Amino acid sequence: MKRNPLILFFTAAIVAAMLFAGIRMARNNRANGPARGQLIGNLAPDFELPALDGKNLKLSDLRGKAVLLNFWATYCGPCKIEMPWFVELQKEYGPQGFQIIGVAMDDASLEDIAKFAKEMGVNYPILLGKESVGQSYGGVSVLPTTFFLDRDGKLIAREFGLQSRSVFVDHIKKALSQGQAVQAQK
Amino acid sequence: MKILLASALFLISAWAGAQDDLGPQVPAVKMAPAPVVTAVQGKPATVPLSFRVASGYHINSNRPKSEFLIPTVLKVEATTDIVIGKTTYPEGQDMSFAFAPEEKLNVYTGDFRVDVLVRPLRSVQAGKYIVRGTLKYQACDNAACYPPKQLPVSFDVKIAKAPPAPHKNPAQSPHAHP
Repeated sequence: MKRNPLILFFTAAIVAAMLFAGIRMARNNRANGPARGQLIGNLAPDFELPALDGKNLKLSDLRGKAVLLNFWATYCGPCKIEMPWFVELQKEYGPQGFQIIGVAMDDASLEDIAKFAKEMGVNYPILLGKESVGQSYGGVSVLPTTFFLDRDGKLIAREFGLQSRSVFVDHIKKALSQGQAVQAQK
Repeated sequence: MKILLASALFLISAWAGAQDDLGPQVPAVKMAPAPVVTAVQGKPATVPLSFRVASGYHINSNRPKSEFLIPTVLKVEATTDIVIGKTTYPEGQDMSFAFAPEEKLNVYTGDFRVDVLVRPLRSVQAGKYIVRGTLKYQACDNAACYPPKQLPVSFDVKIAKAPPAPHKNPAQSPHAHP
């Protein structure tokens, strides 16, 4: 039986498309939320989580402020490097309407997380993370993972792993300068 | 032939594109197939379990230097026929990493071995038994850490019959014979 090369090609193309779509779907299902690539440019998934002081914090209540959302854990060495920078950045850019939120994604006790945060001199809210919140951000499988939200609550950037301080500064400046609240002021 | 080649390239590029979308890959610790250890009924034997940490990553040793770090721990499920004894972990390496050059962490990299002591009960029938467990570890690289993982572990123990007890001589009279 003679094989038609065109049919072979189209069969391969269909198989490739199915393979691509299958892997994407499997990944999305596993994350039970949007794929990472779909997050940027969209409104940040809202959540409400308890903070170390016992009060709940809702992300959307920060609308109007630029937000740095940092997923971290007490066992994460690279996260420890960033924290002193965050303390400085909160002091420097806070008066301009900037807020850092830390989301602890580990199984450590509340006391251990509080002790860790105190040792690091953290001056911004630390929330006790949940797997479901991580999933809504595409699954937080790398720590630290940091998201940047503009004043409208739109995700404008994301960084995996330890970055240089200047990368954070660039994203913060961009986040502060974007959003309808900024446009209204101009 | 060219069409076939183009089709193959198309498939490969689709696969690569889909992989790229997966984001950073979570590192893996793999276990080498464990040797079948023969243990005699009632006698202890050591089962060596070999693991490999993927290149570029490290995991905390069983005794990390900070209370906040998650140690590598092997948990072996209890069995009714075999007593699980002491687990012996290797010494970790004291290493510094780019994210904390002044701090030494005690870690495993590359290949490492964990020994598990097993002791079949005397009453156990001879034969092959499967023992299962999990290796809990938490990995990092130079710039990021990954949530703790549990690697399923299993190994076979072949239980052999104990040799028959040496035949004792019949008791002799304590009286001295002339």
